[in-house]
Amino acid sequence: MIKLSLKSILNKKNETASVIVSLIRQLNATVWIEDETGKVLLGTQGDTCATERKIIVDNEVLGVVKGDDKANIVADLLASSVQKDAEKKKLGSEVLNLYQEINLIYNFSERLAQTIDAPTISQTTLEEAGRVIKSNSGVVLLWDEDAQRLKILASSGELFFAEEKLYSELRLLSKILLSGQSEILTDVSTLSQAGILLPEVRSVIYSALKVNKRTMGAIILSSNEWVQYTAADLKLLTTLALQSSAAIESALLYEKNLREAKEREEAMRLVYEATGKFVPYEFIGSLGHNVITDVRLGDQVEKIVTVLFSDIRDYTSLSEQMSPEENFKFVCSFNERMGPAIRKHNGFINQYLGDAIMAIFPRNAQDALLAAIDMQKEVQDLNKIRAVKNQTPIQIGVGMHTGPLIMGITGDEHRMDATTISDTVNIASRLESLTKHYSVSVILSDSSLKQIEQKDGFHLRSLGLVQLKGKREAVEIHECFNASTDIEKKINTLAVFNEGVSLFLSKSFQEANLAFKQVVDTDPGDYTAKFFYRNTKKIIDEGVFENGVGIVSMHEK
Amino acid sequence: MEQKLLIVDDEAHIRMLIGQTLEELEDEGVNFFTAENGEQALEIIQVERPQLVFLDVMMPKMNGMEVCRRVKKELGLNDVFIVLLTAKGQELDRQKGQEVGADVYMTKPFDPEKILEKAREVLQLQN
Repeated sequence: MIKLSLKSILNKKNETASVIVSLIRQLNATVWIEDETGKVLLGTQGDTCATERKIIVDNEVLGVVKGDDKANIVADLLASSVQKDAEKKKLGSEVLNLYQEINLIYNFSERLAQTIDAPTISQTTLEEAGRVIKSNSGVVLLWDEDAQRLKILASSGELFFAEEKLYSELRLLSKILLSGQSEILTDVSTLSQAGILLPEVRSVIYSALKVNKRTMGAIILSSNEWVQYTAADLKLLTTLALQSSAAIESALLYEKNLREAKEREEAMRLVYEATGKFVPYEFIGSLGHNVITDVRLGDQVEKIVTVLFSDIRDYTSLSEQMSPEENFKFVCSFNERMGPAIRKHNGFINQYLGDAIMAIFPRNAQDALLAAIDMQKEVQDLNKIRAVKNQTPIQIGVGMHTGPLIMGITGDEHRMDATTISDTVNIASRLESLTKHYSVSVILSDSSLKQIEQKDGFHLRSLGLVQLKGKREAVEIHECFNASTDIEKKINTLAVFNEGVSLFLSKSFQEANLAFKQVVDTDPGDYTAKFFYRNTKKIIDEGVFENGVGIVSMHEK
Repeated sequence: MEQKLLIVDDEAHIRMLIGQTLEELEDEGVNFFTAENGEQALEIIQVERPQLVFLDVMMPKMNGMEVCRRVKKELGLNDVFIVLLTAKGQELDRQKGQEVGADVYMTKPFDPEKILEKAREVLQLQN
């Protein structure tokens, strides 16, 4: 309804008032204008009132023009001016309404563009619709294809229907909501009687949410007061529904894609985790891949690494005392201790070979040596537990060598395996088997030792040269006795021991023999010194020089 | 003191819309003026000294920025509250608007309620 008042029309800076004033003056008439309450707005009230003309717009009396017979002219002028004003106002208010609608849709689109989840989009739609369409509650329902039922995506105000009826009255609701219609329900009695709508609901307006002619749900507004919804309301609701259904559809697709991607990712992660336990990530990583599925037959990489071998000494006789099951459990519990010691120092286990372990340290030999010491300490801890159980202590030998290593994938297209091919592995393995021979726990080759920049803290002594089977060059080897139980004694005799080895290498067997005797006399538990003592003595007594040089040849395993 | 308000826009429908939006203020005694270009606006501002001006930025010849700059910087009419109106998305103008001394910045399509609210606030009229 457009509010008009004569007062404001005559007050305004338009020319109506001044034209009327000058007209009255020129006509020399007695004319005055009263508003609907009788208050004089313009002119001077006369004594007589021959003419009385009501100014009526849209059946509403705005005021009266009174005066002599000339009042008719003034009244005609005013009536036409008021009529024009009314038309202008009506037009203005229609334009403003349209503008508000544009503004609403504009804001709505802007808000939709900022969100990608279906419930938020639905909530936004309800809010915007509720701002212009008179209602006290609203809901966005969506047809869930998987569950074959309607579900509430968003709601505002008090829920105006019985939620359980969404499932029980499916046929009726589907018929109404999924018909693809937009409607003003002037008669809600059917739905009320079916117990779907709450009894207080008086008016309902709804629009289907459609994408590509497929109805996916509906937006419904309801009012507990009787509201005469207009075609304009329905048009606006349909416009909002149209926009939001496209947005909801995209959001649902996006969610679905996201969910599927997550599931795929999770499946991949499980595969990755499982394969990682068999083939180390580091192995795959060093081949330039992220996941095992990227690995191809023939992939390979060459690197300078330190290979560490460990083996339980006399495991055969140890295992004879156990049942196969006990054996298995023992190896498992043993490996559980060794694995962390290796990983802690940036190594990875390339292979478990029964009681033996092959590990690779890509960074440097120092990592490998620290791991070897930790492994020995783990064994000592394990032995404490074994002692309580009256079990014999176990010993491990560790050998390590630094050199080039090719890691790669071999096999055929049906069965592939991660393999290392390298002389470095062979040497490390042989050095490990020498530990028993020399009665030491850790042997490292000279190439490993050279790679250790910070030697402080490592207790090392030379074990001379060794001629490994099938190798032309002799290998210089060292013992690390950090994890030795009589570490102090070995430190005390270190200088003499090293001197003995040096004399041995220069073939001064007599002097070497004396040096080792001195070590053994001081520390009778030093079996390594005893080994050298016996060896030198044998050379002196029998005159046997193996290979013609002062080299301890590798004996058969 | 007489309350005066000026609407400046080269587009007639925008002038009409703002006028329509603020119509109730007219009934409350506020005098409305309109101008369809910058020069006209400057003239009315100098003669009538409106307390509030809704000023469109994008106008031919003298644009809203220039009008604002002259009013605020050259004439020093700081008691004229200027609301700059511009199309959405022209965010760069915001800083320029501050430089030329605009008091408030609003974007088109405008929210009629906000325009009315702002006018009431500036003219200190109770709702």
